[in-house]
Amino acid sequence: MKNKAFKKLVSVMLIATMAASMVVGCGSKKDDTTTDAPADSAAEETKDDAAAEDTADASSDAAYTDYSAGFPEEVTIQIPVYDRAFEGWNVTDNYYTQWVQKEFGDKYNVNVEYVAIGRGTEVQDYMQMIAAGTAPTIIMHYDMPQAVNYYGEGAMQSLDLDEIAYYAPTYYGNMADTIAKYGSLDGENIFFFAERNPIYYNWVTLIRQDWLDAVGASMPTNLEELNAVAVKWKEAGLGTLGGELPVGSFTMEYPFFNDSYSEEDYAKYLDLNVAPLTWEPTKEYLKNLNKQFNEGLIDPEWYLNTDDAAKKADFVSGNCGTYSFYINSSTDTIDSLLANNPDAKVSCLQFGAGSVDGHNYFYEYPPYGMIMGVNNNATAEQRAALWMFLDWMSQPDNLFFLQNGVEGENYTLNENGVAIQNSDFDGESKLSQNNNKDYWCLVQEVVNYDTEEGTYQYNLNNLAPNGYEYLIEDAYKGAQDNAQYGIVTPIFTKAVQATSEYSADLNALWQEACADLGTCDPAEFDAKYEEYCQEYLDAGYQEILDEKQSYIDEGSFIL
Amino acid sequence: MKEKKGTQAVEKPKRRGRGMLYLKKNWQLYVLIILPLLFIFIFKYGAYGGLTIAFKNYKAAKGFAGSDWVGFKIFEKIFTHRDFGRAVKNTLFINLLDLFFSFPAPIILALLLNEVRVKWFKKVTQTLLYLPHFLSWVIIGALAYQLFSLSNGVVNALIANAGGSPIPFLQEDTWWLITYLLIGVWQTMGWGTIIYLAAITSVSPDLYEAARVDGAGRWMQCWHVTLPCIRSTIVTLLIMNLGKLMQGSFERIYALYNAKASEYSTMIPVLVYRWGIEGGKLSEATALGLFQSIIGLILVLLSDFVAKRLGEDGLI
Repeated sequence: MKNKAFKKLVSVMLIATMAASMVVGCGSKKDDTTTDAPADSAAEETKDDAAAEDTADASSDAAYTDYSAGFPEEVTIQIPVYDRAFEGWNVTDNYYTQWVQKEFGDKYNVNVEYVAIGRGTEVQDYMQMIAAGTAPTIIMHYDMPQAVNYYGEGAMQSLDLDEIAYYAPTYYGNMADTIAKYGSLDGENIFFFAERNPIYYNWVTLIRQDWLDAVGASMPTNLEELNAVAVKWKEAGLGTLGGELPVGSFTMEYPFFNDSYSEEDYAKYLDLNVAPLTWEPTKEYLKNLNKQFNEGLIDPEWYLNTDDAAKKADFVSGNCGTYSFYINSSTDTIDSLLANNPDAKVSCLQFGAGSVDGHNYFYEYPPYGMIMGVNNNATAEQRAALWMFLDWMSQPDNLFFLQNGVEGENYTLNENGVAIQNSDFDGESKLSQNNNKDYWCLVQEVVNYDTEEGTYQYNLNNLAPNGYEYLIEDAYKGAQDNAQYGIVTPIFTKAVQATSEYSADLNALWQEACADLGTCDPAEFDAKYEEYCQEYLDAGYQEILDEKQSYIDEGSFIL
Repeated sequence: MKEKKGTQAVEKPKRRGRGMLYLKKNWQLYVLIILPLLFIFIFKYGAYGGLTIAFKNYKAAKGFAGSDWVGFKIFEKIFTHRDFGRAVKNTLFINLLDLFFSFPAPIILALLLNEVRVKWFKKVTQTLLYLPHFLSWVIIGALAYQLFSLSNGVVNALIANAGGSPIPFLQEDTWWLITYLLIGVWQTMGWGTIIYLAAITSVSPDLYEAARVDGAGRWMQCWHVTLPCIRSTIVTLLIMNLGKLMQGSFERIYALYNAKASEYSTMIPVLVYRWGIEGGKLSEATALGLFQSIIGLILVLLSDFVAKRLGEDGLI
């Protein structure tokens, strides 16, 4: 009897717990219903309707409500932040998010909620959140075509520039021209931006100086010399050049540019998301790859290197003598290399050494950093809070604090007023990766000082590992010498529909073609290349080119 | 109260009354089954609503209800897609090969294990054979690339030391296919034996005894007693496996994929992933998934029908 009662009790409890956990699992988080209620109904409407409504709102209510004393009811804004996932850092709740809430949120009765976005999976993350209706107030991306895709999905609402100017005078004062020039799509204001005053000396290629010395070679200055060095390395049994299979952010063809290409060519072929397989520079790139592979000058399994970790492993293990990466004072690359090869010495490969004529053609950043849009279901209050948030962050003091932390702990000011980071600091206010960039990238992409010299001092300290300042000095010089070879990607003022339709298929085909063309018999290269080009065009690339051409013809692009 | 019910049941020994009594007696068990049923209804049937986007031009921001109906346009689009034919062909081809190699392996292994007489050896072997089943494909993929790399893989280093030339296990289409199949056999073989071993234990010892009396050796016992006795288990599993002919494990392909040996890796699950997750074209991915499931269902029904015709119990 007792046993039976026990059985009953256990089964009832078990069921209750499991049912409860299931209910919890099924329920979605809806604690910010106060601000979401009108938002949900808005999401149901089509984008056009929402846009029409917005403009109607704006015209009928020209004077905006003043919230400078704070919102009467708490407003929740959700701010995306890249989750670069490293140990000991809670990306959505830490010293700086708490500081933001205290300094901005509490003052204006705004709940600033951070939403983690995977850096490598951001598009998937966003698409899923857009589908579920839980995307943050800001929808953002670093690259224009994908930002346009989000717009194409109907995820963004059109903007009232006067509203931004009203709530965010400082921010709008900084960005008004950029927003006016680049922010409109199909005749509507969609995007707003972070400022970018780019530097080009943080992307460096390390080369094994001890290997160069061992074969008595000097620093190569163009592709021919670089390949000659690789031949000597091979003969001396030292190792090969580093190699990789480009799988995204396609810029591998840049070193094969020359001055014969027109703006129109660039408009047609340049796209970080779609490899321009059929374009002459890409053919040259593949031909060189094929030559390097067949002569044993690069990593024989380069086509397996599709991420940074694989390339880095080749370099630090001493198999490869070159490695390109975004350098940072906290990098462990050089330490790992020295652990494996105590005699290793590294230099910065001369800019342009990978290109035919020794000119370092490079991807020149547009004058904006982060490209952002406002979530379709954001309310007028949320928009106002968002603009006020951007304005608050644009105030130099706030921005400086976010970028540098606490004076005397995180950094000390040098005689020129440049913040010199204390890289060993490990206290409560420790900065996130890249000096908290993922928190302040909403208003600025690169830390700027008033003078070029100040910016350089700051970066030198920030980028160079201790004792390796010469790497940054060389890179700085290289970037200065080649400043004229920056190629700006022209952008279209309309969404290129074919790109979002075909880019995933084309990317898969590109990888197949690149791996095959890079490793085939040189005698078969030309025939195979023609074959792949035809296949590539048929798979949708022709449609992309045609659509782009039609926009070029009607002048719907900005240089 | 209790007594009254008891007498009622005795007085009216109808089927339904007995069933109710049984239900009352074991109600805990029936309540327990509610949970798995709920799980199936919520997560398996509940998700069916989402299939509608295969017939819609789905835009994430518009939601399921707000997107426009487009009839069979999405299906027309995927059926004419250049990769579709290749994907179907590869999926069927590779899964047939996989079935051919991976299906008999656990049966043979179970028969072998059944013959092992030393208890501790049998237990250790079984445990070791089960282990690969618990490794995720990501781990297996990474291990495979460590082992079979051309330049610094262990296997190729051994081959080179023995005087051979390195074999592109994962770097050439045909070799890739062979490696893919063998790794599959290695991963599933041990785990698959469990069901067969259970079936073998239920074979009556009398049958073996009788066979021995008739002079059958180990081999003959295996062939004439064990195999016929577990035949219905084999057929059931075969029918279930035939239903998977159009599927294929995405993780397995994805973990072993590389751009150099891509001839066979364009399979339906890969296209679903590429279109749906990478390309954000959820309508196309859903339509392809639906197509794959319908073919799978037809295959199951067909093989069930054939099995019944051949005098087996079948599945349904």
